[in-house]
Amino acid sequence: MRFLAIAILAAVMLASLFAPRLAPYAYDAQFRETPNAPASRIFPMGTDDIGRDRFSRLLYGTRVSILLAPAAACVSIVLALLISVPAASRVPGVGLAVSGLTTICLSLPWLFLFIILRAKLPLNTDPSTSVLLTFGLMGVAGWAWPARVFAAAIREIRQSGWLLQAQAAGIPPWRIALLYGLPHLRSIAAAQFRVLVPAYILSEASLGLLGLGVSDPMPSWGNLLQDLQHPDIVRANPWILAPLALLVIVMICLELLQSPPEASL
Amino acid sequence: MTLRPLADAGRRVFRSLLNLVLVVLLGGFAAAALVRYSPGFDVDENSWNPRISADTLAALHARHEQANQLLPFYLHYLRAAAQGDFGQSDSYRVPVSELLHDRAPVSAKLIGWGVAGGLSFGLALAWLSVWPRRAVLSIATASVSGLLLAIPSAVLALAFFFAEAPLSIAVALTILPRVFGTLRALLEELYSSSALLAARARGIPPWVLGIRYVLRPAAPQLMAVAGVAFVLAFGSIIPIEALCDVPGIGQLAWKAALSRDLPLLSGLALIITFVVAFVQMTGDLLAGERN
Repeated sequence: MRFLAIAILAAVMLASLFAPRLAPYAYDAQFRETPNAPASRIFPMGTDDIGRDRFSRLLYGTRVSILLAPAAACVSIVLALLISVPAASRVPGVGLAVSGLTTICLSLPWLFLFIILRAKLPLNTDPSTSVLLTFGLMGVAGWAWPARVFAAAIREIRQSGWLLQAQAAGIPPWRIALLYGLPHLRSIAAAQFRVLVPAYILSEASLGLLGLGVSDPMPSWGNLLQDLQHPDIVRANPWILAPLALLVIVMICLELLQSPPEASL
Repeated sequence: MTLRPLADAGRRVFRSLLNLVLVVLLGGFAAAALVRYSPGFDVDENSWNPRISADTLAALHARHEQANQLLPFYLHYLRAAAQGDFGQSDSYRVPVSELLHDRAPVSAKLIGWGVAGGLSFGLALAWLSVWPRRAVLSIATASVSGLLLAIPSAVLALAFFFAEAPLSIAVALTILPRVFGTLRALLEELYSSSALLAARARGIPPWVLGIRYVLRPAAPQLMAVAGVAFVLAFGSIIPIEALCDVPGIGQLAWKAALSRDLPLLSGLALIITFVVAFVQMTGDLLAGERN
């Protein structure tokens, strides 16, 4: 199952990477004479209400969602690592303050925290800025949980025997951190990355549906799902469900990769 | 000897309360800073009045500047918030507390039913996965949970809305896959306990086993899971209420974000932070007490 999941994810990723070559049209190319056209040889999934090819938009939208969610997860992990160092600090007050800040961020539902930050920034931005804002803010807003995990791991490392040995051997702190500390955190970072990527893909989808994500004409899974709000259009052209189907398939594949190999059989 | 557990419990309650106060103070600071630095906050309408003399204008400006320094503003904001005054909404032109008063019951009902449903469905699914000890059921329940986890809550909400089904079930189904793993692990641990095996061997009926040997010992962890479920429900009501036109706090937050109504968002953030932190603290405390 894991192999199948990896194969599907690789195929989706390749298709999205080569979207400009695979897509028959540009994502914003309009065919005004054929709005809401059904699936045909010219438009494999039909067209949307302003005559844009749904298939081309799905390919480009997949690229936005599937490539930028990992980038946002990387931002969260780097931020979490930077913040977790003072959080695990022995300096009185510093650890408590960072821990308090982490607790606040965790107390506020994630989506709510995101929309507060999003509201602070301009809503009417050009599409590429909206993409950067959406995924950049996800990265910034999602630091709290990994930071807590990293802080706990750093505290554990501090009490380990090998650290005492390394300190006793006179190895400089930066060398201990770089050569011994970071490899210990790498597996935790990888686990957090595997959790954050699907979470960000889902969040982008919800935000796009709410009109707070990537803005038109740039497609993303989130804004492609907006058509689901019109059941009559969905009934007329079931291909509208394609972004949702692809999202669910990718999410299931990512879930399979999260579980240990023996559990995913 | 008998006073020691009491003292421990007291210390735990004190530490939790201190944590709650710290969270509220820091949350209040963040909310006040958000309002203070919102666009147009510094604009004083009197400065456009041509009948005001330059001296009066300078005096007004100085007073305005002093009152609007972050720390005095924060203290003023916190004092007013403690009295239930969270300022005025920019977009609705009514006090934030009034908006909350009207909308909180709607969201509370949705969250309450959602959390209860999510935990019940989660427990039922976890029980099906563990108790009959059949691989097919275990795979099927994990698949259901995995599928639900793969669907955005907003899409679930739309499906329920168009099917005219209760939206609290959509909230419950959003919570279910996120608590299923924990509940399954908990039940697995309890079902393999020697006490339960002995009781099973004595032929005690399954429902008695379920209550006495599973639900009762699992109560502390269930309370902690309920706290997590509450946070999840709060997060899920934003897309559900916004897309399904439910006049609750989630819809209010969404509208405030779209209209960049920062005073309203700040008030909501402060209240939600307090409520969530309080519920989590209560859950953790009760779980600790039972342990």
